[in-house]
Amino acid sequence: MPFKRMPQTFTASIGTVTIGTGEKAVTMGGENVLPLYSFDAPIANRPLIGVEVSDLGVDNTLPELAAFYAGADTVVEQAKRAATMPGADFLAIRLESADPNGANTPVEESVALCKAIADAVDCPLVIEGSKNAEKDSTLLAKVAEALQGKNVLLMSAKEENYKSICAAAVLAYGQKMGAESAVDINLAKQLNVLIDKMGVKGENVAMNVGSAAAGYGFEYVASTMDRVKAAALGQNDNMLQMPIITPVSSEAWSVKEAIVSEEDEPEWGPTEARGVEMEIATAAACLAGGSNAVILKHPKSVATIAAFISAII
Amino acid sequence: MGLFDRVFRGSDEMYAKAEQSVDEIIAKVGPDAPMNMPNTGYFLACNYAYLGRKITKVGELKEALADVRSMMTKEQRTRDVFLSGIGTAIAAEIIEACKYVETETPYEGTLYHGHLTDAEVRELGVPLVTGDIPGFVVIIDEAPSDEEAAALIKGYQSRGIFVFLIGGIIEQAARMKIGMGFPVRVVPVGEDIWAVGHVISLVVRAAMIFGAIQPGDFAGFQDYTFHRIRAFVNAFAPLRDITVACGGGAIAMGFPVITNETENIWRVPKSLIVQPNTQEFIETSLEARDIKIKVTKIDIPVAFSSAFEGEIIRRPDMQIEVDGSRLDCCELVCTKEASEIEDHKIILEGPDFDEFPVGTKISMCYIAEVAGKNMQSDFEPVMERKIHNYFNCIESVYHTGQRDMIRIRVSKSAFEAGFRARHFGEVLYAKLMSDFGAVVDKCQVRICTIPEKNAEYRALANKTYDARDARLASLTDESVDVFYTCILCQSFSPSHVCIVTPERLGLCGAVSWLDAKATNELEPDGPCQIVPKDRPIDEDLGTYEDVDEAVNKYSHGALEHVTLYSIMQDPMTSCGCFECICGIEPMSNGVCIVNREHTGITPMGMSFSELASMTGGGVQTPGFMGHGKHFISSKKFLKAEGGVGRIVWMPAALKETVRTRLDATAKDLYGIDNFTDMIADETVVEGDPEALMNFLTEKNHPVLSMEPLM
Amino acid sequence: MALKGLDIFKLTPKKNCKECGSPTCMAFAMKVAQGGVALDACPYMSDEAKATLGEATAPPMKAITFGTGDAECKLGGETVLFRHEKTFVSKSLYATTVCSDCFDERMEEIRKVDYERIGERMHVEILNLVYGGDPAAYAALAEKAVATGKAIILECSCAEGAKAALEKCKDAKPILNGCNAGNVEEMNALATEYGVVLGVTGANLDELYDTVAALEAKGNKNLVLDVGTASVKDAFANAVQIRRAALKDKDRTFGYPSIVNVGKLAAGDRSMQTALAALFTMKYGSIIVMEGMSYAQALPLFGLRQNIFTDPQKPMKVEPGIYTLNGADENAICCTTVDFALTYFVVSGEMERSGVPINLLISDAGGYSVLTAWAAGKLSAGSIAKFFKEFDIENKIKSRTLVIPGKVAVLKGEMEEKLPGWKIVVAPNEAVGLVKFLKELKV
Repeated sequence: MPFKRMPQTFTASIGTVTIGTGEKAVTMGGENVLPLYSFDAPIANRPLIGVEVSDLGVDNTLPELAAFYAGADTVVEQAKRAATMPGADFLAIRLESADPNGANTPVEESVALCKAIADAVDCPLVIEGSKNAEKDSTLLAKVAEALQGKNVLLMSAKEENYKSICAAAVLAYGQKMGAESAVDINLAKQLNVLIDKMGVKGENVAMNVGSAAAGYGFEYVASTMDRVKAAALGQNDNMLQMPIITPVSSEAWSVKEAIVSEEDEPEWGPTEARGVEMEIATAAACLAGGSNAVILKHPKSVATIAAFISAII
Repeated sequence: MGLFDRVFRGSDEMYAKAEQSVDEIIAKVGPDAPMNMPNTGYFLACNYAYLGRKITKVGELKEALADVRSMMTKEQRTRDVFLSGIGTAIAAEIIEACKYVETETPYEGTLYHGHLTDAEVRELGVPLVTGDIPGFVVIIDEAPSDEEAAALIKGYQSRGIFVFLIGGIIEQAARMKIGMGFPVRVVPVGEDIWAVGHVISLVVRAAMIFGAIQPGDFAGFQDYTFHRIRAFVNAFAPLRDITVACGGGAIAMGFPVITNETENIWRVPKSLIVQPNTQEFIETSLEARDIKIKVTKIDIPVAFSSAFEGEIIRRPDMQIEVDGSRLDCCELVCTKEASEIEDHKIILEGPDFDEFPVGTKISMCYIAEVAGKNMQSDFEPVMERKIHNYFNCIESVYHTGQRDMIRIRVSKSAFEAGFRARHFGEVLYAKLMSDFGAVVDKCQVRICTIPEKNAEYRALANKTYDARDARLASLTDESVDVFYTCILCQSFSPSHVCIVTPERLGLCGAVSWLDAKATNELEPDGPCQIVPKDRPIDEDLGTYEDVDEAVNKYSHGALEHVTLYSIMQDPMTSCGCFECICGIEPMSNGVCIVNREHTGITPMGMSFSELASMTGGGVQTPGFMGHGKHFISSKKFLKAEGGVGRIVWMPAALKETVRTRLDATAKDLYGIDNFTDMIADETVVEGDPEALMNFLTEKNHPVLSMEPLM
Repeated sequence: MALKGLDIFKLTPKKNCKECGSPTCMAFAMKVAQGGVALDACPYMSDEAKATLGEATAPPMKAITFGTGDAECKLGGETVLFRHEKTFVSKSLYATTVCSDCFDERMEEIRKVDYERIGERMHVEILNLVYGGDPAAYAALAEKAVATGKAIILECSCAEGAKAALEKCKDAKPILNGCNAGNVEEMNALATEYGVVLGVTGANLDELYDTVAALEAKGNKNLVLDVGTASVKDAFANAVQIRRAALKDKDRTFGYPSIVNVGKLAAGDRSMQTALAALFTMKYGSIIVMEGMSYAQALPLFGLRQNIFTDPQKPMKVEPGIYTLNGADENAICCTTVDFALTYFVVSGEMERSGVPINLLISDAGGYSVLTAWAAGKLSAGSIAKFFKEFDIENKIKSRTLVIPGKVAVLKGEMEEKLPGWKIVVAPNEAVGLVKFLKELKV
């Protein structure tokens, strides 16, 4: 008696979001099966990989990373180099230095940097703000204005600042937006409903339902994603059908395992290798959970995860 | 002559002027000359939006005029007035556009701004959409005096309202040295009334950009401008017919017109408002267009932060103490009519803090009087409960108690920094407006330090408290029209949905029906959603088709049926926060209840934590149910199984908590006195069902004569 | 739909004899319904009742045990596909491959990785012994493996080789992973003879299905299913479909735990093995076999596993005590927060980033987050004062500054009363604000 296969396809599907323009434009989402279940039905768009470039520059304490960026001394040069990284689908410019609790780079400077990068590369762009809701509401609006026509994704709108990002980024300047909530299906849905009420259509929104490094509360991320996909596909809940984009690098490279020096933990071995494995394990787990795009930093992680995706789908 | 006729006459006037402008320009440059408004992708935006015309040549203005003419019908109907009004605005745009045929900068070297670029539309549009700019005003013609003009403009500026000026008021503003220009948010649009064409052009472009309204979708624009664009008009006397016609257009778009004209004018509620006193223009206008000004900062001389919540002010550090334990004090939130109060007014009756010696215990009452279209008196206690938290967030101020039993200490350092009685009003105003902005439109605070008067205030407040308590006591599941969901706990219990009813609070005991109602009003997309109860299935079980639909929807399909009053059939699920768990004890056919604090074993053979592991997590476990303490004494508790008479065991401490109300319920239901004494507790029975039976038999517990549970 | 406790209770003798170990029949029935106790623990259950309930209460996926003593491993017994539906029962276990040639090298590598994280020992639990073609060498390998005290998998489809190894390691109760459509008879005989779990594989799911059915027909239900190494895509497809068939579609033939050999799927590529191990930890690998396990791989994988297989109803807790950060001594300031592991990690991580020496004081707050612990009365001025007394803080630490979480600023006054002489400082509400706050904190 042969095994009776019961493919689990859904009549509902995940929405799509396209970023970038022309031939280099990429689309995330669109599948009508659970994450990576290509054996149930073909997956419309394979998950995407973004490469993070921070406006603070490359961390030169990591030899392999520094070697990849060798000779690229400005953030714009680094962005150009990152765009050539094998396996990368888009660039994610992280405006870390704009954080008012950090360097507090003025909005005009950050905008000028984004503009310079956008002019220098032709790949799709994601712009990550300072994570400070108040600052981001002006910063991302100004970036949206400066990059008109580039079809970039601005991350992220939160409950505190979604209005200005909806109005400026999407409605006024035709960009895409990320909607960020803290690992809770209802918060994610509530934010999407609010964004919808602003007149922003789902095709312009990717969700960041929260992220965590492996070992740091990843169970919340996993369960939130499980539930979001179940509701989107099984219940046809169109307020949860936006594709999911997950910034992995910022989480993975900030936990103890990825930053403590070999001096302090000789048993653990070189710092860089630890960071890379942390980034890879977290990214693979996110993709298994349902991320339609992940943002990574290290060329080795990007290469591994790119190979991982093509092996599975 | 009636108002309608004034509109029609004004629109004719505008049309004639437009026709004249078009004829002149065609004669000058020919019909094939290009017609481009600078820096816009929306052509002549009003023509494009309302008529669907993409005008690119001067000659096409002629055809557009024909369309406008056809809008200016003259039947004595509102519809005709509105159409003529909008036609007037389109004609105005045409007049202004003619100025741009030969030059891109017809207003260069003048005070006037003229055409607004797409970039300016976006720049103004974003904060308008987000609410950062609460709205905009178009002020037309000369104010009675330069000073009144300046005061009005500055008044709007200070409230963040964007200002467009048309006509004589521009000269007045210039004379009063008011800075003007797009960046300072005061734009002198133009000299003549047809400059309104530029403003309406901005409005329709905003609708196309931010609302994705398609050109030619007349109704779409009506809807968008009415619901989304918070604009209004201030027009000074004497009103000309042509201005009245433009006003008709504004009203058609949903923008009220406020004027000080008293002659030959007809009041239309919410739309055409006569306010003879120009000093009242701002308040009247904001109220007419439902604009609320966001309160962002609290005007007090000390810091305000949750970091100060835990401060304790000791006696030696104390400047003054409000002592509700000995003197007449009270705190109260009460609802008023909007017309009865003045927004942000803080009234101090009696001496201020600096008139009392250091360390004085004083009598003080403070009453926050609030008004709002969505305000309900049920929200008063919800707001009032927050006062404790608000006042404790003030640096060096300490608050305990509630209602008429309050104690407030103001430290010497706060006093030295300048903290006075009215600052309590500032805090109340700012916090109530920002936290409860969804229901509070206006807020006025009354603070009184006169002992004799406070005796009266306190008596008054007590009446309110009593009325509230009576309302709470009278609230039953039957007396309300809707229930609410609460899905706050889904973050850790994904499939659980609480249905909150007046008699069955959230099982955590923390969310009452009134809380859920307020949460719903304040956060319409939040955790508490309305559940209608229009389609009851079985009133004893407490089943409703509406409730089933709600739990199905909010559990994302995990739950299909829930009963409100049964433990045996589809009992309500639990997240894990339950105050109590009840479960059936089969030998007695009764129900044991155990509260979280009790660690011992129950006659069911299980402890609270064992019961919790099988009852929590949103799973339905017939025979077991989590609930709040308050529910125990309700007539709805176990209603399907015969009511509270099923209760056979509770920990002694829990018995004492519910005794009074439970005895009353049992008396009502079964005519039994002191029912609580018939219920066993851990002092007589622990894990032994036999001993429980003996106890129940001895007490002749009503459960012994009830039907078996299974 | 699983049986409700009350349905089971109705079939119990209702005599509360306590012989099953539960105080009442009701308590017993509820435990059976939860899968915590087997039905036959009740000596008085009628055959009829057993027949009625047996099928319904049997778990859809078998719970399999192998290894002995400290190395005893539990697999399977799952009832749900997603952790939010109910807790996962058995965590994924990690194995590394050893062969006769590489044994010492591998053992040296994996012996290094043995540490504790939030009360759980993190190490490679299992050795996967690869058969090289020589029964004697395989037996020798098995003997060495037994000496390590770890659980053992014999990856061997040759009956002769398997028998030689089993002779040496049978007492360690290994898994014999080598049954396929071609050797059912002899492998089943061996597994039965030595009383060990049998690993089954197939060229595809249909073949695997038939082989399992054949084994079951012979009465062997002590199985694990190897998802195969044809390709990553197939291995993942198989792992998911096997688990889904058992739990969602109630096909008991596939109701067994799985083995995934990511070491073979990505031979030589350690980083890819990390990625695959993470994937199969998320989705349905009961045993994940890798080539090796470096610290760099272990740290994220064990952390991920600990997260995914945590019981949502029992929060992860760290031990109460004084944690010294950034080289803090007795003069360093004190900060306090709750023992909820996630809070601890996030807070201590930010504190480490600040570079400020800190004595982080963790009191027993029931494993809840700050606000939850406070609301539940587990974090209060009293509980912290009690902790100070129990751990003799005042004598161990000279600093008299204590920083409390911003979310419980409300405790400040009360704490000043309970801890006289201490300056209580309120930290920001969120951990992200700590670095700036601590750097600017003037003591």
